[in-house]
Amino acid sequence: MAVPIKHVLGILVDNLSIRGSVMPLSRSSSVNWAKGLNIPRGGKTVIYTGLMYQLMPSIIAMEKMTSKFADSWISNFYGVGRMVNKVISITPFMTWTNASERERFNSILHNIAKLLQVANVDFGYLYDEEMYAGALVHDEGINDVFEAHAHKVYERLKKHNVERVITVDPHTTDMLKSVYPKIIKDYQLEVKSYLEVLAESNLKPLKKLEQDIVIHDSCVYARYEGIIDQPRQLLENAGAQIIEPINTKKMTYCCGGPAESLFPSKARTVADSRVEQLASVGDKSVTMCPICFVNIRAAAETKNLSVKDISDYLVDAYCDQ
Amino acid sequence: MSKVNPDFVEKISGFTEFNAYACINCGSCTALCPMGIDLLPRRMFRHVMLGFEDKVLENTEEVFSCLLCKMCEENCPKEVPIVENIKSIRWYINRDIFKLGRG
Amino acid sequence: MSDKRRIGVYVCHCGGNISDYVDVEQVRDAVKDDQDVIISKNVMFACSDATQQEIIEDIEREKLDGLVVASCSPTLHLQTFKAVAQRANLNPYQYTQVNLREQCSWTHRNNMESATEKGIKLVRAGIARTRLTEPLTNIRIETKPRTLVIGAGVAGLRAALALADLGLAVFVVEKESEVGGWTKKWGKMFPNNRLGNDTIEYLLEQVKQRENITLFTDAELIEKGGNVGDFSIKIRVKEGETVSLDVGAIIVATGFDSYEPFDGEYGYGLNGVVTLPQFKEMVDKSNGSLNFNDHQVKNIAYIYCVGSRQPEDGEIENPNLYCSRYCCSAAVHTASCVADIDPNINQYHLYRDMRTYGKYEVMFENAGKKKSLFIRFDDESSPEVEVSNGALIVKVNDALDGGEEIEIGADLIVLVTGMVPRENESLTNVLKIPIGLDGFYNEIHPKLRPVETVVDGVFISGTSQGPKTLAESVTSSLSAVSKSAALLMKGYVDLEPFIAEVDTDKCVWCGECEKSCPYGAIEKVVCDTKEVATIIPALCKGGGVCIPDCPEDAIEIKGYTDQQIRSMIDALAKEVA
Repeated sequence: MAVPIKHVLGILVDNLSIRGSVMPLSRSSSVNWAKGLNIPRGGKTVIYTGLMYQLMPSIIAMEKMTSKFADSWISNFYGVGRMVNKVISITPFMTWTNASERERFNSILHNIAKLLQVANVDFGYLYDEEMYAGALVHDEGINDVFEAHAHKVYERLKKHNVERVITVDPHTTDMLKSVYPKIIKDYQLEVKSYLEVLAESNLKPLKKLEQDIVIHDSCVYARYEGIIDQPRQLLENAGAQIIEPINTKKMTYCCGGPAESLFPSKARTVADSRVEQLASVGDKSVTMCPICFVNIRAAAETKNLSVKDISDYLVDAYCDQ
Repeated sequence: MSKVNPDFVEKISGFTEFNAYACINCGSCTALCPMGIDLLPRRMFRHVMLGFEDKVLENTEEVFSCLLCKMCEENCPKEVPIVENIKSIRWYINRDIFKLGRG
Repeated sequence: MSDKRRIGVYVCHCGGNISDYVDVEQVRDAVKDDQDVIISKNVMFACSDATQQEIIEDIEREKLDGLVVASCSPTLHLQTFKAVAQRANLNPYQYTQVNLREQCSWTHRNNMESATEKGIKLVRAGIARTRLTEPLTNIRIETKPRTLVIGAGVAGLRAALALADLGLAVFVVEKESEVGGWTKKWGKMFPNNRLGNDTIEYLLEQVKQRENITLFTDAELIEKGGNVGDFSIKIRVKEGETVSLDVGAIIVATGFDSYEPFDGEYGYGLNGVVTLPQFKEMVDKSNGSLNFNDHQVKNIAYIYCVGSRQPEDGEIENPNLYCSRYCCSAAVHTASCVADIDPNINQYHLYRDMRTYGKYEVMFENAGKKKSLFIRFDDESSPEVEVSNGALIVKVNDALDGGEEIEIGADLIVLVTGMVPRENESLTNVLKIPIGLDGFYNEIHPKLRPVETVVDGVFISGTSQGPKTLAESVTSSLSAVSKSAALLMKGYVDLEPFIAEVDTDKCVWCGECEKSCPYGAIEKVVCDTKEVATIIPALCKGGGVCIPDCPEDAIEIKGYTDQQIRSMIDALAKEVA
């Protein structure tokens, strides 16, 4: 028996409905990344993390659990788990996270905010009032729960008089930019990914990258949002040589991530195929989505392929370290 | 033997209208799917349109396997909203079978 | 026949096409001293303007009375060199083309010596024929500026209008009491949804406004005599009266019959199983909702290719092997109309191959968008129609889902029937035009001579020739109009003189030749108190089937006499020195 879809989804739904996030995150885990950046609270323009990068350590931990449960008798207890979860959050027990992983993902957010500051973008942050945008629940087709949640998110932003949002990952970008306007009446928010904002700015490189980098487009950026040129422009301006793998741009190949929580082994096969493609043309790869980053990195462990988030390269080239 | 049931598609179309009627069965979607699942998405959609509820439910795992990566949708010659359709099927299973959601 | 001739021979290099494999100088030299050869020359390109001029000058200066050009196939340049002869005042029928390229150099590239020897023999045969040629003249026939159109459906009416507007008189003969044929019966027709009846009303109105169109309804062609440009015909009109007319050309626009399924074919005969034309009528007449047996129709299943593309080796006698070409488009268009009447009707299309070709593809897409579902079945597993608990069901293996057997409950089952040739035996006998293996009238050549029949001056149009859409029918009828008008507006027709000729001295009138002629071109006459055969020049095609049937050896074909053919055989058989 595979992982029981019903109960896994049930836990996610309950978490979102009861706790506002698909997985519980402590206040400090959500906002620690912003330490030392002096980002003002609130403002007309805000950076919006959508908690995606912060959730990654928990998701990695949960996937380790799930892949152990899949095909084992323990999977029968997901149902019981879901019942308990409604009262006492069980997810933290399933998702003991690792401190160095938390630091790794926080550093990406830190990079992004730094880049925006160097580019002279005036922005604030909602800190602990920022909410998860609901992508996972939306993707799984739990429409009513998603829609209720989306309204909450929008109300929160309006409460703070936010007019412009700078997103940091493709999924939150798609939610706020393309999905919310379809379900929220008179939706008024200007939404841009930080890659778009940086590409439009006058950011000048301080250092030459002089590296050959294999680019892995995110499906959501490339095919949902048409964000293809901006990451290339930013890397190339800094002197990097971009290597396009066989599947690239609009024809990019999925990292397997979206299937990770329910079908870990199938997801891994997809990730392996993609890593094969990337490693066959170079030894340094770049991702621009937290889910891609996690999955490509895991599949690349045994290959001669380094995996970095695009902000790692950009901060190196454009910011005074 | 499967009996065609024209009413089934209504159940799927509760939130957004299920729409794969422009499909010409070319199979590009299945050929390009990174998950390599024979049933996805063309045959699954056919089962929905013909109203084979049992076949859809037998293959719940396939329905939830879709990566929503839009490789198929990007290359669909008839511009079928594949991802929306997959989500509609998920929505129906969540609601009617898993009893998830806000009730 | 003069015993001394003056013949010019031109052996062409064809820029190497011939001379690379045939030693053209050797050919030229081999025949230069042959009997009656005055000039024997090599030319680089016989067809070039300069060489044509050179040949003309040679003919005039040397007073040549025969010309042989050994070059390419006559298909390519026979007319070119006949014109050269004519320009030099040499009778064009005293010219012979020898095919030294397609039938010699190109076929024997591996053996130049033998190719050259064959080339010499071919040129000698050409010379031999030319030595026996006589000046011939074309047969000229004055044409009558009137056309008979048979059938007043959309093709016939449109043809009549076009002819009338070219200033030609038209007689239209319609068997039924009303004009309009199938089109008149139908409502919305693809591709522009114009009502069939409106189209006919419009055409009829236009016809009425033209004085040079005479329309006979309840009428039938019963006799045809004469020949191209000058047919005398007889029409039976109401109450046993007949009318005699002289016309220059005839356009056949007799239309088609709809395929009638046999009893039990896909459930035909069961309540609720209808043909496409029957269904079309129901849809056309429906008002707001589609009802059958006083119930609102909810589910419709269409079965395509009924009566078309039947298996060659199946149980059906004389199967229709052809695709009826209009039915896929008509069915998806009708399904679209149904969806417009009631979008909640579920429509299932069981098809073998969807052939909404060309611009009609859009209609297939539209039907899909209006939620028609298409289910493909393999030729080997046809759908089965049954009655289960008093309701119609169709079972079919869905080839698009791995051959899975599915069952569809339907209030109506529409058999998408094709077109079959109209039963018209008496007319066919009168016109003497051939019928193809498919039962439709046959054109001479689908690409090079469409709408023309082997009977000069008789043209076929619309669905009498084969299945067509309305638009295609009109295109073909206008094509027949242009062929008729080109024939009649010139005022005359010239026919090639290669026709049979009877030696009245030898002929004893046994009637064998008359029986053998497929064109009715031979008849009995009395010549100096003796009964003999005579040839009707305008009908004779020079086919020659009469010649071997004549026990007295009294018939010859002009331009290809026995003597000429024998002399050519002798020349071919003679050893090259």
